[in-house]
Amino acid sequence: MSRASVTVLQAQQSALLAALFAHPAHTAERLASEHLLAPFTAQSEQTSRGLMAYRANGHALAERSLAAAYPVIGLMLGQHNFNALARDLWHRHPPAVGDLAHWGDVLPTFLAGSEAALDAPYLADVARVEWALHRAASTTDAVADHASFARLGAEDPARLTLTLAPGTALIGSAFPVASLVLSHRHAQPSLAQAAQRLRDGVAESALVWRQGLQPRVAQAGAVEASLLRALLQASPLAAALDTALATETPETPAFDFSLWLTQAVLSGLVTGVRETNSAP
Amino acid sequence: MPATAAPAGTPVGIGWRHPHYAELLQTRPALDFIEVHSENFFADGGAALSVLIQGRACYPISLHGVGLSLGSVMGVDAWHLDQLARLVERIDPVRVSDHACFARAPQAGQPVHASDLLPLPMTEAALAVMCANVQRVQDRLRRPIAVENLSAYVQWRNADMDEPTFLNTLARRTGCALLVDVNNLYVNALNAQLRGEPQDPLAACMAWLDAIAPEPVAELHLAGHVHAGEIVIDDHGSRVADAVWSLYRHAIQRLGHLPTLVEWDTDLPDLSVLLDEAERARQAAAETLANANTPAGAAA
Repeated sequence: MSRASVTVLQAQQSALLAALFAHPAHTAERLASEHLLAPFTAQSEQTSRGLMAYRANGHALAERSLAAAYPVIGLMLGQHNFNALARDLWHRHPPAVGDLAHWGDVLPTFLAGSEAALDAPYLADVARVEWALHRAASTTDAVADHASFARLGAEDPARLTLTLAPGTALIGSAFPVASLVLSHRHAQPSLAQAAQRLRDGVAESALVWRQGLQPRVAQAGAVEASLLRALLQASPLAAALDTALATETPETPAFDFSLWLTQAVLSGLVTGVRETNSAP
Repeated sequence: MPATAAPAGTPVGIGWRHPHYAELLQTRPALDFIEVHSENFFADGGAALSVLIQGRACYPISLHGVGLSLGSVMGVDAWHLDQLARLVERIDPVRVSDHACFARAPQAGQPVHASDLLPLPMTEAALAVMCANVQRVQDRLRRPIAVENLSAYVQWRNADMDEPTFLNTLARRTGCALLVDVNNLYVNALNAQLRGEPQDPLAACMAWLDAIAPEPVAELHLAGHVHAGEIVIDDHGSRVADAVWSLYRHAIQRLGHLPTLVEWDTDLPDLSVLLDEAERARQAAAETLANANTPAGAAA
């Protein structure tokens, strides 16, 4: 086998991919890509139809994969617009790996720079929450260490931190992003209530984690968000709590850490206690 | 609790897809194995992997890949191979397979994965690339894999050999097994006919089956296809066509009892339809081999 024959094969493979991923809306780009392919393929009506079949399959995969990761964006845009978005993203940011569960991570950035952001600037943050949910769904299963909670009463909290469930993420937003996602996924709050918060300019932080096998999203208040942000960085619990409590305002209910911790353990958000310098 | 014991004879299985996850686990029909797409279970954890582990407790599992891109000049993606190796270790599958195709190639200096099964030219260069990549996968998994023939919708101009020679040589050089998709053969033959090639599709497929080396063949695939005007598409969205059943009987007669998979990936019907197709495969294989063992059948 000669180096030249491998070079030809590489050119064939690159040309076919270029023909498949050339943006269908850009006629010149598409024709140029098909021109690259022409020396290698039998030119017939069926070759054109074959390329169409491969492209159509790619588009179907794009629509299905993106819908699996971003169901709320799908509801917000409507199926026709969402499918067009998926096809556009497929051509502009094609998959890099062979597991399509990893494709679509650029959608938040893509949406932020799109025309849709002019009318709906919250879309990018909603997409960030949905991607965090999507990744949480397939992350490592949590292994709770309930015995470790006894350390909280016996050891210096300056050396301890809380272990959060794998996949936990906190998405801060200038929009009521948690309400928007929850209203579309669970109707709680209602769509009308979420829309009112949007009109009122409410900013929210969305907490994403996994309870057992089920990805969850909830609104995190300012104190909780501050605490979680510090815990996600493995800060010592004492310092994280001090920083969080400093964000309390007279308008908000006092933060009850014991109650929060109980609920966080029951919901699978906090899985144990560990030293700050140990891996989660 | 294991599944209901499958009857003796040709081992048959079905592709296990999301809409049938719960029903299969609840009803545990008599199947010899179930097949899943490896890439759908590359997760670190979560619900999908949990379901697969439950399925594994009931059935042997055939891990069928659609993304290794064994024919890519740029090689097998190390990340992909790592994920597959981890899954193989977790599931201990009865078979691991993928396709004689490529999906990865550089675009603007970056690897792009087409998420499709794109055809290779039947050239010495493509064969050498396939051999190197298959060998790398087998070395990593420490087991032979099975490589499947595919349906192709673009024809390359250059060829040094025909497809059976390509696959036979691949198996001989690497020790890999072969997975023969009977429907893919027929789809390719129908498309050749639509291009104006003179050979009768059934005759072309039988000649293909007669040319494949029997020893490496480890599994057969059956599926439906659709006529879409000037092209036939292997869409796995309907019952197996009559002509494909004829070819299946020919394959069984030549290759013997081989694990047989009924694939159905689009417009999924009730689970009972897949089970019916699987049972039909079991009976077709039994009848074919019974006829072959009679004096009249042997003479034929």
